Amino acid sequence: MDTNELKDKIFAFVEAAKGKKKLKEKDIIKGVSADTGVDKDTVKKALREMIDVGRLMYSYGGGASSVEIPSEEYLREKGLIK
Amino acid sequence: MSKKYDTPLLDELEKGPWPSFVTEMKKAAARSEMANDELGQLEKSYRTKRGYWKHGGIVGVLGYGGGVIGRYSSLPDEFPGVAHFHTVRINQPSGWFYTTKALREICDIWDKYGSGLTNLHGSTGDLVLLGTTTENLEPLFAEYSSRGWDLGGSGSAMRTPSCCIGPARCEWANIDTLEICYQMTQKFQDELHRPAFPYKFKIKVAGCAVDCVASIARADCSIIGTWKGKIEIDQDAVQWYAKNGMDIKAEIVDMCPTACISYDGTNLSIDDDNCSRCMHCISKMTKALKPTGEKGATILIGSKAPIVVGSLMSWVIVPFMKLEPPYDELEELIRKMIEWWDDNAKPRERIGELIEARGMREFLEAIGVPPQPQQVFEPRKDPFFFWKDEDLTKE
Amino acid sequence: MALPQRQTDIGPPHYKQFLPPVIEKNYGQWKYHERIDAGTMVHVAESGDKVYTVRVASPRLLSTDTIRDMLDVADKYCDGYIRFTSRNNVEFMTADESKVEPLKKELKDRGYTIGGIGPRITNVVHTQGWVHCHSACTDASGLVKAMMDELYEYFTEKELPAKVRLALACCVNMCGAVHCSDIAVVAVHRKVPVIDHDKIKDMCEIPTTVAACPTRAISPDPAKKSIKIKDEKCMYCGNCFTVCPPIEIHNPEHDGVAIVVGGKIGSLRTGPKFSKLAIPFFYNEPPRWPKVVAAIKNILEVYAKNARKHERLGEWVERIGWERFFKLTGIEFTYQHIDDFTFMRDTLRTSAAFKW
Repeated sequence: MDTNELKDKIFAFVEAAKGKKKLKEKDIIKGVSADTGVDKDTVKKALREMIDVGRLMYSYGGGASSVEIPSEEYLREKGLIK
Repeated sequence: MSKKYDTPLLDELEKGPWPSFVTEMKKAAARSEMANDELGQLEKSYRTKRGYWKHGGIVGVLGYGGGVIGRYSSLPDEFPGVAHFHTVRINQPSGWFYTTKALREICDIWDKYGSGLTNLHGSTGDLVLLGTTTENLEPLFAEYSSRGWDLGGSGSAMRTPSCCIGPARCEWANIDTLEICYQMTQKFQDELHRPAFPYKFKIKVAGCAVDCVASIARADCSIIGTWKGKIEIDQDAVQWYAKNGMDIKAEIVDMCPTACISYDGTNLSIDDDNCSRCMHCISKMTKALKPTGEKGATILIGSKAPIVVGSLMSWVIVPFMKLEPPYDELEELIRKMIEWWDDNAKPRERIGELIEARGMREFLEAIGVPPQPQQVFEPRKDPFFFWKDEDLTKE
Repeated sequence: MALPQRQTDIGPPHYKQFLPPVIEKNYGQWKYHERIDAGTMVHVAESGDKVYTVRVASPRLLSTDTIRDMLDVADKYCDGYIRFTSRNNVEFMTADESKVEPLKKELKDRGYTIGGIGPRITNVVHTQGWVHCHSACTDASGLVKAMMDELYEYFTEKELPAKVRLALACCVNMCGAVHCSDIAVVAVHRKVPVIDHDKIKDMCEIPTTVAACPTRAISPDPAKKSIKIKDEKCMYCGNCFTVCPPIEIHNPEHDGVAIVVGGKIGSLRTGPKFSKLAIPFFYNEPPRWPKVVAAIKNILEVYAKNARKHERLGEWVERIGWERFFKLTGIEFTYQHIDDFTFMRDTLRTSAAFKW
C-alpha cells in the first residue's frame, strides 16, 4: 500500500474512534495493521510521520496517554495553520 | 514586578531556620507575573485548604507525547498569570552533576520563557521547570534542545531513568551506575518521548544494596549492584575502627543478619558463603571491608506506589547479571519485559501488577529467565500449583 | 530573533562533561570515605586524592535567583562544578582541603543550612502539593518547611541511632518514596467522592473508570450514562478522580494527613520495608500544621531514646513489637490500623506471644 493511502487509513481509524474511545498508539497500530494487512512496523512508521507534522497528536487525559486528531487551537499554536 | 498579593499565611512559612520555599516564590514573583499569581493562588489554597489546579491537559512539543505536563488554574480570571502554568521536565544528567555554566544557561532560558521557579529535582529525577505557557513551549524546546538538553518522560511512557552517584564518588559502587543510566536513557529515547506503553515504566540504577535512589521502591525496573566474591578485610583498619570507639561486637558482629562475622578482639573474619551482601558491615567499616571478585547487578521488577491495589516493592528476577558496555544484554532483557507487558496489560496497569495477575511463571518464560531460589524468600506454602503438559512429559 | 534549530531524541548531555576533575580522574577508584561533621565528608581515592563534600539543604522549590547564588559559590570554591542529591540537597565539592572552611563560612554567611550527612535527618523527599498539583489534598512544601523548622537540629547537628528518612506525599499517588520511609506523611481523603453525572458523559470512559477502582465500588449506571459508587466499599483512594475528573474526591472539610512509619529502602541488616500506619488522621492546619509536626517529633524522639545504634526506626519497632511502639509513643490504636485491604493476611497476628 502506498504510504499516503496508509496514512489516510490511519487518520480514518482515529477519526472513527473520536469521542468514543481514547486510542493508544498500540491500538491504532494493531487495528490498522489488521484492517489493511500492512505490517505493524510500517504502520508505526507512518503514524510517527503523521505525528511529527501535526496531522495527529499525542494527548493525555484520564491518567493515560493517547493519540488524537489535533484541534485547530493546537495547529495554530504550532504554526501549522494561520 | 511590584507586590500584588498580601500573603499573611504564607509569610508564616518564611519564619524559622529551614530554607523557605515561600522566599523562593517571592524572589521569582519579584520578576515574574506568573510567579506572582502563583503566590496569590497558593495563599488562597492556604485559606481554603484546597488546591486550584485542573487535571493536566493536552500540551507538548511537536512530535513528542511527553516531557510537558499541562497545568491550568481553575481560577484563571482571579489569577490570570497561572491560567497556563505548565511543567517542563528536562532530562537531568546522570548523578545530577552540573557545571555552573550549564546550569546558568538553563536558568537564563527559563527566566525568558517561564516563571523562574524550578524543582531541583523532581521525584523521578528530572530537572523540573514549573510554570510556562502553551505558546512558549516550542521556543523553549528549541532553546534547550539546541544546547544539548532534551525533555524527560511523562504519561504512559518510559520515564527518565535515574541513578545514584555510583563510581563517581562512592567506594561501594559495583556497577557504573552513571553510564548505565545514560546508555539506557539513550537506548530508550523513542519510548521515552512517544508514549506507547500501557502506563509508566521507570528504571533506577543503584550501585549497591544501600540503594540511594530508592530503586527497589520506586522503579518498575530496579538495577542494584552486587558482587559474587569474598569481602576483603584490612585488619589494621579494623583496629583503627576499634580504637576510634566502635564496639565491633555490638555494631558489626551482632548486627550481621546472617551471623557470618566473628571477631576475637584482634581479627575480624567473615564466612563469605553465608554472607547475603546486605552492606551493613561494609557501610559501617568502609575503610576495612571491600567486596572483591565478580561485580554485577541484581535485576528486580515491579515496584510502585499504592495505586491501584497496594504498594509493591520490586521482585528479584535476575539474581546476577554482568553489566558492561555497551549493556546490550540489559537492554534486550528490558525490551523483552516491556514487550510482554505491552502485549498483555490493561490500560494503566503497571508491570508489577500484571505479573501479579498472570503469575511469575508466565513472565519468566516470556523473558527467558529460569526459576532460581534467589527469586523468593521461601517456596510456596499451598499445595495448589499449575502444571503444564510440557512439565508432565519431562522426566 | 530567530530561534535556534530544535533537536529531538538527543537525551541528556553526557555526565562526563560535568564531573569535577578530581572525580573524573578517580572515577571508580574510590577507597573509603569519612564523615567530618554533620555536613562535611571526605572521599579518599586509591591514588591518594581526596574530595571534600559540603552538603546543604534546599527547599526543592527553587527560584533561578537562588540557583544562581549557589552557582556563584560553586564558581568561587568548586571550580565551577555543583551537584544535587536524590533527596534535594546541594553538594559543593573541592579537592582542596584549604577551601573547605572558607566554603562553609561563605555558605553560612549566605544563609545556607549545612548538614544532612550521617545518622541524622536529611532533606525530605516530597511532592508538589497545592503549589502545582490537581490531586493534592494537602500542601507539601509548607508542611515540610514546618516539620524541618522543628527538626532542624537533627539535620545540622544532633545524631540519631541511624539515619531517618522523611517523606511527604500530598495524595496517595505518592510521587515520592513515602511507602518506604522511616517517617512519612501522606495526605488522605475520608469521604466518598461526589459525581457530576452531566460531565461524565463527555469527559470519561465508563469501563476505564470502573476498572480504576481497587475495591470494585464503582459500577456502570446505564440509565444516567454514568457510574455509581457503592459507598460502603469505597476507600477514598481517588483513583477514579484521576481517570475521570468529574468524580470529585476533594473535600477540604474532611481531607487531611496520616503518618506512616518504619519503612526503609536499603537491604542493610533487614530487608527493605514498607511504612506502616502510625496515626490515621490529622486535619489540615495550614500554614504550620502544628499537631502533625508535634506528632512526628514525638515519634522521632521516642525512637532516638530507645533504639540501638544503627537500628533504623522500622528495625527498632520490629524488635520491641508494635504494641510497645504504641505504648511508648502514646499513640492510640484504632480500627484504621488493622489492615482490611491487601496486606491483611500478612499483618494479623497469628501467635499468642506479645507484650503488654
